[in-house]
Amino acid sequence: MLKIAIVGCGKIADQHVHAIHRIPNCKLQAVCDRELRMAKQLGERFGVGQCFSELGEMLQTTRPDVVHITTPPQSHLSLARQCLEFGSHVYLEKPFTVTAREAESLVQLAANRNLCITAGHNLQFTLEMLEMRRLMKEGFVGGKPIHLESYFSYDLGDTTYVAALLGDRDHWVRQLPGQLLHNVISHGIAKLAEFLDDDLVEITASAHQSEQLRSLGAEEILDELRVLIRDRTGTTAFFCFSTQIKPGLNQLRICGPANSIVVDHVSGSLIRNENRSYKSYLTYFIPPVKSAREHLTNARINVTNFLRRRLYQDFGMKELIERLYNSIRTGGEPPIPYREIMLTARIMDEIFAQIYPERATAVQGPITQERVTV
Amino acid sequence: MNSKYIVSPGDSILVTGSSGFIGAKVVQVLLALGFTRIRCLVRASSQLSRLQAVLTKFDLRKNVELVTGDLLSRRDCHKAVKGVSLIYHLAAGMEKSFAGTFMNSALGTRNLLDAFLEFGLPKRVVNVSSFAVYSNLKLKRGALLDETCPLEDAPQERFDAYAFGKLKQEEMVKEYGRHHGVPYVILRPGYVFGPDKQALSGRVGINTFGFFVQVSGSNALPMTFVENCAEAIVLAGLRPGIEGEVFNIVDDELLNGRQFLRAYNRVKPFRSVHVPYSLAYTMCFLWERYSKWSKNQLPPAFNRRRCAADWKPMRYSNQKLRERLDWKPRVPLDEAMAAYLAQFESTGNDDALKG
Repeated sequence: MLKIAIVGCGKIADQHVHAIHRIPNCKLQAVCDRELRMAKQLGERFGVGQCFSELGEMLQTTRPDVVHITTPPQSHLSLARQCLEFGSHVYLEKPFTVTAREAESLVQLAANRNLCITAGHNLQFTLEMLEMRRLMKEGFVGGKPIHLESYFSYDLGDTTYVAALLGDRDHWVRQLPGQLLHNVISHGIAKLAEFLDDDLVEITASAHQSEQLRSLGAEEILDELRVLIRDRTGTTAFFCFSTQIKPGLNQLRICGPANSIVVDHVSGSLIRNENRSYKSYLTYFIPPVKSAREHLTNARINVTNFLRRRLYQDFGMKELIERLYNSIRTGGEPPIPYREIMLTARIMDEIFAQIYPERATAVQGPITQERVTV
Repeated sequence: MNSKYIVSPGDSILVTGSSGFIGAKVVQVLLALGFTRIRCLVRASSQLSRLQAVLTKFDLRKNVELVTGDLLSRRDCHKAVKGVSLIYHLAAGMEKSFAGTFMNSALGTRNLLDAFLEFGLPKRVVNVSSFAVYSNLKLKRGALLDETCPLEDAPQERFDAYAFGKLKQEEMVKEYGRHHGVPYVILRPGYVFGPDKQALSGRVGINTFGFFVQVSGSNALPMTFVENCAEAIVLAGLRPGIEGEVFNIVDDELLNGRQFLRAYNRVKPFRSVHVPYSLAYTMCFLWERYSKWSKNQLPPAFNRRRCAADWKPMRYSNQKLRERLDWKPRVPLDEAMAAYLAQFESTGNDDALKG
C-alpha cells in the first residue's frame, strides 16, 4: 500500500484526491498547506485526518511514499527538493519549475536518490493520446515526424480566474517570467517535446495581447503566442496558444512521411489521415466519407468508453498518477521521460526570453543527454 | 437618526462587497439614514456601476471612501478596517471550486476579523450569509424553515461550493465571537431579487440540457426584494441587544415558483418544462447513485440534498426579524415585482436564463 500525501490544498488538489481514490493499493493519508485551515478543509471534505502546515513535520510524521505538490510553481523547487531529500517520490504539478535550470536540478536529484519524479502533464495520458502512441508504435506515420502542430486555447470568458490575477499585481501568476502563458502552455509544449530531438536549432516566438485582454485592463499580460521550432534532425513544430480562437482548439497534429494523425482533446478523438490519392473527382467524394467514418468511429469509441466508465474528466491525471505509482512499485521507467520534462522547460525558457526579455531567465545552450546523467 | 443605534453618524462603517447587487443598496440605505463616514471596500476588478449609481443619488460623495483591496491580503484588510466600528460583510467567494470559495469566504473573513480586532474599534460585524447554509433534507415537506433549522453537514455530498463557503464563513464569524469577543450578527437572506439582477435563482428553475426546467412550482420562494433586504441588513448593524443572533430575511408576501415564472414569462416569454418534485428527487437520487458508482464520472451536480434545498416545498417566516429588529418590508410584493420585471422590458436580452 503506497502512502500518499498532498502539499498545496488549493483548487487542483481536489482533482488529485479524486484521481488517487480511483487507484488501488494506495491511500491518501496526509495533506499539507502553509495555511493550516486550507489543509483542514480539504482533509474534512475527503476524510483525511492528518493535516499539517509544515512540510517537514508532515514528512517526519507520516513518511509518505509519494508527495503530490500542487502549490504555485515558485515553490516547486524547494518543496520537491525537500521531499526527494527525505526519500519520497514526487508528482509535481505543471509547470514543473520556473526555469529549466531548476528542472534539471530536480531531475538530477531524483536520479541520484533513485527516486521517481514526474511532471503534471496529464493531457499526455488521455485516452486519445494513448491511442496516438499505440499508432506511433505501430509505425502508422511512417517514421520520425516531419512536422508537428500543437494548439492550446484558453477561454477568457471564465473571468473568475482571470479577474483574480488581473486585479492583483502580486498574484503568483503575475510573478512568473511568462505570466499567464507560463502557467498554461507546458501542456501544449510537452506534446511537442515528446517528438522533438533535444538539440533545437531554432525557436522563434512571437506574442501579443488580445484586444479582449487589453479591454480588461491587463497590463503586460500577453495571451496570443505563436512559436516555431526546429530540431537538429529537421523536424519542425508549430505551437499556438490563443484566448481568441473560436471554437477553442486543443489539438496535436503529427505529420509523418507516410501518414498523419490529429489528436483532439476537445472532442476526445483521434483522426487518422492516410496517404491515399484518388482519381479525378473521386478525391472530392471518397475522402469526406472516410473522414466521416473516422469521426463516427470516434463517437462509437467514446460512447463505449463512457459506458465502461473509462471516459471521464481527468482520466489523464489518473492514468499519469497510476503509471507513476506502478513505476515506483516495479522500479520501471517514470511515466514521462526526464528528457521530455527538461526539454519542455528549456523550450519555455527560450520562449519567455524572447517575448518577455526583461523578465525571463534563459538557459544558455541546449540541454543534451550529456548534461544530465540519469 | 435613531439615538438607540449602537453607532452614531460620526462612526466609521465599512461595507465589503459594496459594489455588489445587495452591497450597493446597503450603502444607499446607510446614506439615506444619515451616516456620513462610509468606507466601501472594492476589488480592483470590481464593476462599480451599481455603487456609482447609488452615490450619484446623494450629494455626499466626499463622505464615502472607496478603498481598493482584496480580503486575502492582510495589508488590504488593515487599510480597510482602520478606525472602523461597524462592518457589513457582504463580500463572498463566487468561485466554482470548494477551495476557491473557502479561501475567499472563510479566509477572507478571518483576515478581516483579525484586522478588525487589531486596527478597528469593534462594535459589531454583520455577516451576510445565505439560505444556502440550511439543510432541509430531513424536514418534512411544508415544514417551517426558520433560524432553528439544521445547517448543511455534508456540503461535499451536496456538491455546492457556494454553500460550503458560506458555512465556513459563518463558522469563522462564530469562532471569532466565541474566542475573541467580536460582537456579531448573522443574516441569512433568501432569494434576493430586484432590478439590476437578471439571473433567475436556481430555486425558480435551471437552464440545463438545452431547456429551462422548473421543478415543483408549488414551492414558495423565500423571496426578499433587494431594498427590503438591504434595510434589514442595515438594521442588523444598528439595533442594540442582538449580538450573536441569526436572522433569516424573507419578505411578508411570497410567490411560489410557478407564479414567479408566470409573471416573468409575461415580459420574457420562453419555454420551460415542468417536473414534479417527486420525479426530480428520484432523478437526483439516481444521478447521485451513478456518480458514486462511477467514482465521479458524472460529478454529483444533481443530488438529493441540493434538490431538497432548492425545490422542496417549505414555509418561511420573518417573525424573528420583525420582532427583534423592528423591521418590515417597506416595498410590497406588487411594487417589487413591477420594478424587477421592468428591467427586461428595456433590455430584452437573455441574460436572465444564465442563472
